[in-house]
Amino acid sequence: MSVGLPQMLTLSAMLFGIGLYGALSRKNAVHVMMSLELMANAVNINLVAFSRFVTPEVMTGQFFAVFSMVVSAAEIGLGLALVIAIYRRKRSVELDAVQELRG
Amino acid sequence: MSMDYVLLVPLLPALAFAVLTPMPRTVRLKLVPLAVGAVFGSLVLSIAAFLAVWPGGQQLEPAWHGVVTIAHIGDRAISLGLALEPMSAVMLLVVTIVGAAVQVYSLGYMHREERIGWYYAALSLFTAAMLVLVLSNDFLGLFMAWEVMGLCSYLLIGFWHEQEAPRLASIKAFLTTKVGDLGFMLALAVIYAEVGVFDFATVLGHDWSAGTATFVALLMLFGAMGKSAQFPLHTWLPDAMAGPTPASALIHAATMVAAGVFLIVRAFPIFEASGIALTVTLWVGLGTALLSGLLAMVQHDIKKVLAYSTISQLGFMFIALGAGSPTVALYHLVTHAYFKSLLFLGAGVIIHAAHTQDMRQMGGLARKLPVTSLTFAAGSLALAGVVPFSGFWSKDEILAVLLHEQQYAAFAIALAAAFVTAFYVARLWFRVFTAPTQQAELHEGHRSMVAPMVVLAAITAVIGFFGPTLGGFLGHGIPWPAFGTAAVSTFAAAAGIMLGWYVYGRRKSVVNTQVIKQRFPHAYGVLVNKYYFDLTYGYFIVGGYTALARGLASLDANVVDGIVNGAARTWRSLAALGWAFDRRVIDGVVNGSASAVRAAGARMRTLQTGSVRGYQTLVAGAVVLFVIWILVKGA
Amino acid sequence: MNLPLLTIIVFLPLLGAVTVALLGNARATAGRAIAATVSVVDLVLVAWMTMRFDVSAGMQFVEKVAWVPQANMTYHLGLDGMSLTMVVLSALLTLLAIVASWKTGKNPALWFSMLLLLEVGMNGVFLAMDFVLFYVFWELVLVPMYFLIAMWGGPRRQYAAVKFFLYTLFGSVFMLVGIIALYLQTGTFDILEMAGAGLDPSFQWWVFGAFFLGFAVKVPIFPLHTWLPDAHVEAPTAASVLLAGVLLKMGSYGFLRISLPILPDAAAEWSTFIAALAAISIVYGAAVAFAQTDMKKLVAYSSVSHMGFVMLGIASMTPEGLNGAVAVMFSHGIVTGMLFFLVGMVYDRTHTRVIAEVSGLSSKVPIAGGLFAFASFASLGLPGLSGFVGEFLSLLGAWASDIPVGWVIVSAIGVLLAAAYMLWLVQRVVLGSPSAAVESIPDLSTREVLVLVPLVMLTIGVGVYWDSLLRFTDPAVRSILAMMGGA
Repeated sequence: MSVGLPQMLTLSAMLFGIGLYGALSRKNAVHVMMSLELMANAVNINLVAFSRFVTPEVMTGQFFAVFSMVVSAAEIGLGLALVIAIYRRKRSVELDAVQELRG
Repeated sequence: MSMDYVLLVPLLPALAFAVLTPMPRTVRLKLVPLAVGAVFGSLVLSIAAFLAVWPGGQQLEPAWHGVVTIAHIGDRAISLGLALEPMSAVMLLVVTIVGAAVQVYSLGYMHREERIGWYYAALSLFTAAMLVLVLSNDFLGLFMAWEVMGLCSYLLIGFWHEQEAPRLASIKAFLTTKVGDLGFMLALAVIYAEVGVFDFATVLGHDWSAGTATFVALLMLFGAMGKSAQFPLHTWLPDAMAGPTPASALIHAATMVAAGVFLIVRAFPIFEASGIALTVTLWVGLGTALLSGLLAMVQHDIKKVLAYSTISQLGFMFIALGAGSPTVALYHLVTHAYFKSLLFLGAGVIIHAAHTQDMRQMGGLARKLPVTSLTFAAGSLALAGVVPFSGFWSKDEILAVLLHEQQYAAFAIALAAAFVTAFYVARLWFRVFTAPTQQAELHEGHRSMVAPMVVLAAITAVIGFFGPTLGGFLGHGIPWPAFGTAAVSTFAAAAGIMLGWYVYGRRKSVVNTQVIKQRFPHAYGVLVNKYYFDLTYGYFIVGGYTALARGLASLDANVVDGIVNGAARTWRSLAALGWAFDRRVIDGVVNGSASAVRAAGARMRTLQTGSVRGYQTLVAGAVVLFVIWILVKGA
Repeated sequence: MNLPLLTIIVFLPLLGAVTVALLGNARATAGRAIAATVSVVDLVLVAWMTMRFDVSAGMQFVEKVAWVPQANMTYHLGLDGMSLTMVVLSALLTLLAIVASWKTGKNPALWFSMLLLLEVGMNGVFLAMDFVLFYVFWELVLVPMYFLIAMWGGPRRQYAAVKFFLYTLFGSVFMLVGIIALYLQTGTFDILEMAGAGLDPSFQWWVFGAFFLGFAVKVPIFPLHTWLPDAHVEAPTAASVLLAGVLLKMGSYGFLRISLPILPDAAAEWSTFIAALAAISIVYGAAVAFAQTDMKKLVAYSSVSHMGFVMLGIASMTPEGLNGAVAVMFSHGIVTGMLFFLVGMVYDRTHTRVIAEVSGLSSKVPIAGGLFAFASFASLGLPGLSGFVGEFLSLLGAWASDIPVGWVIVSAIGVLLAAAYMLWLVQRVVLGSPSAAVESIPDLSTREVLVLVPLVMLTIGVGVYWDSLLRFTDPAVRSILAMMGGA
């Protein structure tokens, strides 16, 4: 069985679904971030897949994916820093504990 | 021989003034001889000028003249000129002789005054102005000198300005004469509009229509009435006696007050062209001569008697003018200048000796002041019109002219005035010199005061004989008196003096004047109150003007300025209204939108739960909806 | 003529003003020395120009440079006899004002700088021959005068300054309307080019009205005069002198320079009205002056009266009348300047301006008293002093013109009334026994006498030899009348 576009998209959709579920269901901020990463990587897979199968002559998608991963790394770094800061204040990384921004 | 030295005649006293005035008081004091020297210089030069003009006659060209153009306006030029001809030569002599006499006399009379230097400065300026006036060859120059004399008169009347009376008298004199000057000034405006220049030859040679001539002449007459203190502008002169007596002698007896007469003499052709103006002049003169003479009868202040007498005598000059004889008017002017200044100087000695001006406190001065009483007698006889003293001759000419012009009513009035004159002269003389002595310590004046009086008395005694000579010199005949008029006028004078003697002069059984006063209380009241002129002027004109001025001032502060301030206030309330509008409406709109936003925000903020998972759910939901929307759209 | 002399005369004081202001109060001594030097140089330049002035030529020392060519504005300065007379007045009085206020203690740097700035405006108004320039200078004058009154004035200085400012601004707004109307009609801002443009008479009538309001406030003519007494009473001495001496003249100068030559038909129509207002101003000002109890207010109202003679002369539109008007302007400048200086000097010593509290100056302080009396006699128009020249010529002109005789006679009565209020003032202040306030005051200092002596000499000089003034004004008057079409 050759791996084609549909298979790739299916993988991506599954990953996204898992990530979405995790992001919505988890209370732990670290878990939520991990789930977010899953969703982001689902998108990356999509990018690479479309690039590979739709426009194989240019590498746009791949480059985008690389950019996206770099941004994700930075984002996770920032996110973890926030989580640590929150933990220091609240002694907890539960998302429900942080409601200061309520209007 | 150049005659430019004539220019020095007025210039010398003017220079004396210019040197004295800026000096400090103490230096001025030392420079007094300079002023006296200057006037003597003028006197010498005037004699020289007089001799140069001799024998006079009706000349067309002046012996000397100088013109300076002081202004160019458009196509016209305004010039001031001086000219020496017989009339101005005669006047030069009068002014410088009386001026010199007064200045010498003042050395004695004023020697105790701290501010004698200023006195001499003002006197010098006056002399200069008067000399310019008589030399002036045009109406403008005459007017300017005329006004400067008015200033000097003001300064000298108010010499003792620390006292109330001289202060008030000086301002009264200036303003009253200024009323007349308005007439003169308007006359100048009419002359300028009509002729375009001011010099005598052109103006008098102009072809005047009767109407314009009457207008100009009446305006000038008004000016002359102010200066020469004719009714009804006479009230300033008696008050002016508050000034130093020698200044009164020069200014308010001999020279300045005669300037009005001199003006009409100069402008006589215009008066002749009018005719009506002559009649008015005649009656002004008649009224003044008689009415003022009557006032002199009831005065107790020796200087005031002389002042009213001056007014009356000036009235005689106006009579001569009105009767059509300027030469006779000038003749009387000359004789009057000498004998009246003589009388004033005499009065000065008397006042110094008696320390009062009230004749009721004098008496018996003849023995104590022999020289003064004699010179005063000469002056008095001249004033009363007793032959051979100068006044007789000139007054007689005036009466003769009236007869000649067949002005019988005028003749009668003038004769009555002459009678009144003789009466008050006698009253004055007998009261002062022969009545019972009331004071012990009396001294004759210093010789610097007596000498000028002797000179003037001598002139008064002899000058009458030169009437025809003077007439010839001026180019118009002055005849010797006709026997008829001379007899009548002498009779009038004698009657007046006799009556005066009967009432005041007899050693015993002096008439009780109180009885007369009580017999005719109304007449006496009218006279004592000077026909109510002063009261009327004081109440209606001065009081009225003061009230008007106050009213206008408060009008200005409240109404005229009030309108402005009111406008400002209205504007301010409008602005306040605008501000209210601004706050309520415009700001309201702004603030209203802000609060709307705030209200919306209050509701919107409830969306902001702060719950991260809530947000996630929202985002996810939104994405789901978005995807659904795309799918539907795509299908 | 290589040197832009007029520009130097106008803007040199500006340089001085900036320098003095920058030096600040700390170096005020240097500042006032600079101020004095600048004003002396300015006066010397004006004097030099006076000597070089060719009375037979028209506009001289002209500088004309394109400024805003798109709108036909030019930088146009010029000098004729009338301008010269006024510039002499402005330069001289500024210098004397600086000397007289030598000892100003409060904020001296700003004071001297404001005086110099005022001179810029005054000189500019009299020399500008372009409307925009004229207007700029006209408004420029307001600013320093406002501050002079508002900062150094008496107790009610704020009120007076604001009143002065608003009143004159009110007038100048109308003037601006007139200027714009004229520009739209003729397409130029050049005052001299506009003269004799032959504008439509009914248009002229309206524009004349607009200018009339602008100038009449400044002159001031009854009933637009009420800012004057307040401004004078509150203003410090030097400001009063310049206000009465020069600023008032800007209004009548405007009539002579602008209204008559550019709008001759309207001027003829308005003349009776102006003459009537002039006559009323003369008598009214004199009467109100008579009732005043404050010396400064009396002199201020006398200004209303004297400026009435200016307007009477202008309304006559005869050579005599116009010459008389300029002569009164000049004479009033020096004589009233003298009176204000003297009142100020008396006030400095006695700290009162109430007439009833000051008397006997002549006995206690003879120099001050004598000069006071002299200035009063000059003010009341004594022949031989400058006041007479203009008033007499105005009356001659008015009599010879179409002005109803009644108004001329009313004006002549003003001469008598002037004597009344002036002598009544002398009577109370100069004569009599010294009052308590006068008892122990010192006489004038040398500096103060030096301020007054030039004015005294000018008063006598012009009064005796009229041509010393009229030789400059007469050609200017002739050219005005020629521009009016020999009206």
